[in-house]
Amino acid sequence: MKRSPLSIALLAAICIAVLAAGPFLLPPFYVRVGQLMLYSAGLGLAWSILGGFAGYASFGHAAFIGVGAFTAGLVENSAAGLGPLWLLPLGLIAGGGACAVLSAVVAYPILRLRGTFFAIAMLGVSHVCAELTNNVDFFQGSLGLNFPPIAPASADPADFFYWLYLAAGLVVLFIAWWIRHSRFGAGLLSIREDEDTARMLGVPTERYKRLAFVTSAVLTGLLGVIYAHSLGYITTDSVYRDDTNLSLIVYSLLGGMGTLFGPVIGAFLLVFVTQVILARLLDFHLFATGLLLVLLVLAAPGGVVGVVRSLRRRRDKLAGAE
Amino acid sequence: MSLVLQTVADGLVLGGIYALAAVGFSLIFGVMHVINLSHGVLVLIGAYLALVLSNSLGVDPLLVLPLVMIVLFGMGYCYQRFLIQRTISGPPLASMLLTFGIALMLQNAMIWVFSPDMKNITPSYAFDSFKIAGLTFDAVRVSALAASLVLLSCLALLLKFSHLGRLIRATAQQTLAAQLCGVNVRHVYALTFAVSAAFAGAAGIVIGVILPFSPADESLWTLNAFVVVVLGGVGSPAGALLGGLLLGVVNTLTAQYVGPSFPNVTMFLMLVLLLLVRPHGLLGNAFSASR
Repeated sequence: MKRSPLSIALLAAICIAVLAAGPFLLPPFYVRVGQLMLYSAGLGLAWSILGGFAGYASFGHAAFIGVGAFTAGLVENSAAGLGPLWLLPLGLIAGGGACAVLSAVVAYPILRLRGTFFAIAMLGVSHVCAELTNNVDFFQGSLGLNFPPIAPASADPADFFYWLYLAAGLVVLFIAWWIRHSRFGAGLLSIREDEDTARMLGVPTERYKRLAFVTSAVLTGLLGVIYAHSLGYITTDSVYRDDTNLSLIVYSLLGGMGTLFGPVIGAFLLVFVTQVILARLLDFHLFATGLLLVLLVLAAPGGVVGVVRSLRRRRDKLAGAE
Repeated sequence: MSLVLQTVADGLVLGGIYALAAVGFSLIFGVMHVINLSHGVLVLIGAYLALVLSNSLGVDPLLVLPLVMIVLFGMGYCYQRFLIQRTISGPPLASMLLTFGIALMLQNAMIWVFSPDMKNITPSYAFDSFKIAGLTFDAVRVSALAASLVLLSCLALLLKFSHLGRLIRATAQQTLAAQLCGVNVRHVYALTFAVSAAFAGAAGIVIGVILPFSPADESLWTLNAFVVVVLGGVGSPAGALLGGLLLGVVNTLTAQYVGPSFPNVTMFLMLVLLLLVRPHGLLGNAFSASR
């Protein structure tokens, strides 16, 4: 089923316009929910470059959110004389850079592990980063870090961060789309399907994996920097969160593992369910999340995209039979 | 000098208990390659059951151990047969997420039933201690260690000599071949899980006697089990014992000489290092090819 590039561009433009108009149409509570949806979708996509495309499911991406946020905070606080316009770019560069260095160093040992070992080792990385941030005084993890306000005076901060998340999400989506359709992306998919065969056929698996890991980490870190700014004040516990570690997997699983739009759909759905539908049932929150996971794994292992695809295939088969 | 020895001795006692808490996890991982993220919940269910039973029957917590093990054996069998079995042929992530979902649900249920507060099982000899060669040992800790060593040996004997043990080992080595020889693989998987759950419950009692526990601890015990298994090697009680003792000693030494908030950092650094140097754990694989 091929559509013309023009109609795709038009469809994309309409979607972006509708999303960008959100703050004008929605009540304040839903602007917050929208922020969280866009942020989660961005994180899900960044995770998916490594976990979805290359099949290296990480259970510790909160490490990069935390490292990005804390590096940006420390750098911005030491450069407090600058105007608010310069602070965010500075923080993004510092946070992204720190994530790039950390991930490039960690990649060497950790990408030698596969499957569940990789997942749990990443959880270890996340816990080690969190404990070091908490216990080494220099990082001020237990005390907390303040972020200077960066929203321009003319805009409501909630709206401003909504648009910032939207822009960041679109950048991540574009990068993920570009990777998916490049030779690099094809290499990652071949690693997911069968790493040893891919290497035998001449795919530079080590280099591709490392590159995907660093890309994913840097994008996650950048989103972490924005997240920290939107919170205004962070401690170790507010950025290194185990439920983030888990959610990133669930987004892809819910939407469709390894697909481009799977994590976006998954993030939108899950944030809507947990923030809007379950918001009044705090006592049941863990239980409901657990139940959702169980039902998902048992009933729809291919996620939303998987269900849609199998429906479409069935329809095509019916059409072919006639 | 005596401080070092005392720290090491404490670590060994703690390590014996880690080993018992991890052995079931190791068994499941070795036989069916499932990472059971609800293992910590099974441990806590054992602890809470022992608390309720020993209070209502008025007996020593270690005496209700067989009862708790029987209950968890049944639970484990049904859990594997009706839920996890459905994900075994899928990707490894599927069973991991399923067990994580179950862990969340059970954790929430435990909060409803037992409240989120810390609980403690206190036997009559809780505050007794004795000295050997200048080192102090708590009576509770030593009896807990003894119980865990006895149970670990029982499991090792079961796996080595019993009919069920042979079935489990055969299924782990060559699932298809075992199936061709007439082994009901699903039944064996469920029995393996049942044995593992029973040992998790037993570990829960031993833990409950020496440490306070709350529903939020489940992830800690799952993680500990994972680390122990990776350190020691998958699938064998001996590997679990070695990994557990190592983890216990490293934990107490770090807490004593580096700082009380650093055991997790050293634990994970050790884990990652070991995965790089010896990816199969110190004792290698007991009876199954690694992935």
